Amino acid sequence: MLLPNISVAGPELACLLGMKPPSKVQRTLRIVVVNTVPGHAADAAALAAQARRNTALRIGLLESGYDIVASLPADIFLPERIAQIQPDMIIIDSESDARDVLEHIVIATRDEPRPIVLFTDDQTPSSMDAAIDAGVSAYIVAGLQAERVKPVLDVALMRFRREQKLMGELSDTRRQLADRKLIERAKGLLMARNKLTEEEAYQRLRSMAMNKKLRLADVAQRILDVEDLLG
Amino acid sequence: MAHVFVAGSDRPEKTVIRAGFMPLTDCASLVMASVLGLDDKYGIKLELSRQHSWSGMRDRLLQGEIDAAHVLYGLLYGVENGIGGAATRMAVLMNLSRNGQAVTLSRALARQGVTDLGTLAAAMRKNMRRFTFAHTFPTGNHAMFLYYWLAAGGIDPVRDAQLVTVPPSQMAVNLAAGHMDGFCAGEPWSARAQLDGSGFTAATSQDIWPDHPGKALGTTAAFADAHPHACRALVAAVLEAGRWLDESRAHRDAAAEILSSPAYVNADRRAIAVRLHGEYDNGLGRRWIEPDPLRFYAGGDACFPYLSDGMWFMTQHRRWGLLRDDVDYAAVAARVNRVGLYREAAVLSGTPAPANLLRRSVLMDGKVWDGTDPEAYVSSFPIRHVALAGV
Repeated sequence: MLLPNISVAGPELACLLGMKPPSKVQRTLRIVVVNTVPGHAADAAALAAQARRNTALRIGLLESGYDIVASLPADIFLPERIAQIQPDMIIIDSESDARDVLEHIVIATRDEPRPIVLFTDDQTPSSMDAAIDAGVSAYIVAGLQAERVKPVLDVALMRFRREQKLMGELSDTRRQLADRKLIERAKGLLMARNKLTEEEAYQRLRSMAMNKKLRLADVAQRILDVEDLLG
Repeated sequence: MAHVFVAGSDRPEKTVIRAGFMPLTDCASLVMASVLGLDDKYGIKLELSRQHSWSGMRDRLLQGEIDAAHVLYGLLYGVENGIGGAATRMAVLMNLSRNGQAVTLSRALARQGVTDLGTLAAAMRKNMRRFTFAHTFPTGNHAMFLYYWLAAGGIDPVRDAQLVTVPPSQMAVNLAAGHMDGFCAGEPWSARAQLDGSGFTAATSQDIWPDHPGKALGTTAAFADAHPHACRALVAAVLEAGRWLDESRAHRDAAAEILSSPAYVNADRRAIAVRLHGEYDNGLGRRWIEPDPLRFYAGGDACFPYLSDGMWFMTQHRRWGLLRDDVDYAAVAARVNRVGLYREAAVLSGTPAPANLLRRSVLMDGKVWDGTDPEAYVSSFPIRHVALAGV
């Protein structure tokens, strides 16, 4: 599918380079602003209001020390561009018809760490904290004066880090479960092949892992691979 | 105008009902209920607000900024079952319309000899590139109809094609620019693509599922529970507007005139009117009068919130992996579709209502859907992706 797997490229790279473990890496939010294509009904006043909003947003972000990675038009290529850039946060006007395009991304990447979508709106006051507590990935920024932008982003950043941590824990848990299944299958194979007890099979796996300096699950995987190969 | 329902214990809990609609021809009955003053007749005042996206509409419903909405049937069930977000209990008060959507393919494909599903499938097999098709919302009606149509032609929409969401008003321009091969959307956007020459109508939605449900009049379960009298009045007013629309060509012409204005659909009156009258031109030289075009009433049958209709969207969400697991299809539909409330509104507005909660439909591939065994129905499709994580 064209939709992004929005992953944490930063920490992975840091690991490869032998730097600190991923959980300690603090990186900046990658922010993308989606420019609304003016609707066919938009009048001059609406366009001017929107231009004002966009300018206020940019100034607010810059003053708060946040960088805009890209400013994208809301066209059919938006999903591809987002997949390439892998932003942590997407800011879009709440009245933009491109919101459904982002919704597609949100649904297609629901198992991945995904961007927070922030909406900007002149009229709608909305409680950001409540929205975040409710676990929604989107909320409205009212007004968009520069001074409103920073607290919103700070809360968003907090949520971003919490999600990253949860995602990390989830994938750890999944890996442990997959490891356990592998080990159980390899143990079963050894027991059947070599007429071993469960304890003996386990000890054999363990000593092989220690001798080869491999993880128990990796040894199990090798045994299963060989079995696959030789039938 | 006589006030049917303004006093006593059945008095609406809320007299001003804020209702969202999308700029599509099938918002007509909701809009006309307001324009004709039918809301007033039932003791409520409709405050209509045009929305720019289905996502925005959903959020406003959930946040209580609007009370009810002209909304994709499938979207409501997506929210109910927590697809892509937190699950929130929703309510379908009535079905607003049936039929009258379409699958449009690009003029460029027509030049290569593609005229229908069969020739499209052949072209896709022959062509190395991946074809791109657009719909309007991942869990929505158009997505589910488009997937169904492609799969019925032996095309696996997930594996063999690229699927994207595009706002309906941008469909024609993207088709003309060669950014995509086809789309499924509501009117007047399919008629527009045909009229401006960017595409041709490869199938109407009634070709896919004759008399399929369309947009629902939706709200949250919380709103419906707290405002049964207001909801009943709203449904009665919209039923009456639907009856008025189906009554005569003159009425539909008047509606097309009103809908074409910037406050509503903001599109060419002719693009709205032709298919509202069932006058189809596929753009490849075939012209016909559709016996069952977009309908807002059909003797009341078009508006009944059949539980089997709601269940159908869930079976398709399951089929394409949007729903991870089977749900209790019948129980979910029974709590979402407010049949009891609808029946009261039907009595109030003099609308005939069927006795059955389920109906029997035969779709384009000959498969029968009657709501009796949803799990078996899902497994009966040779092309399905029940284990898939996304769209």
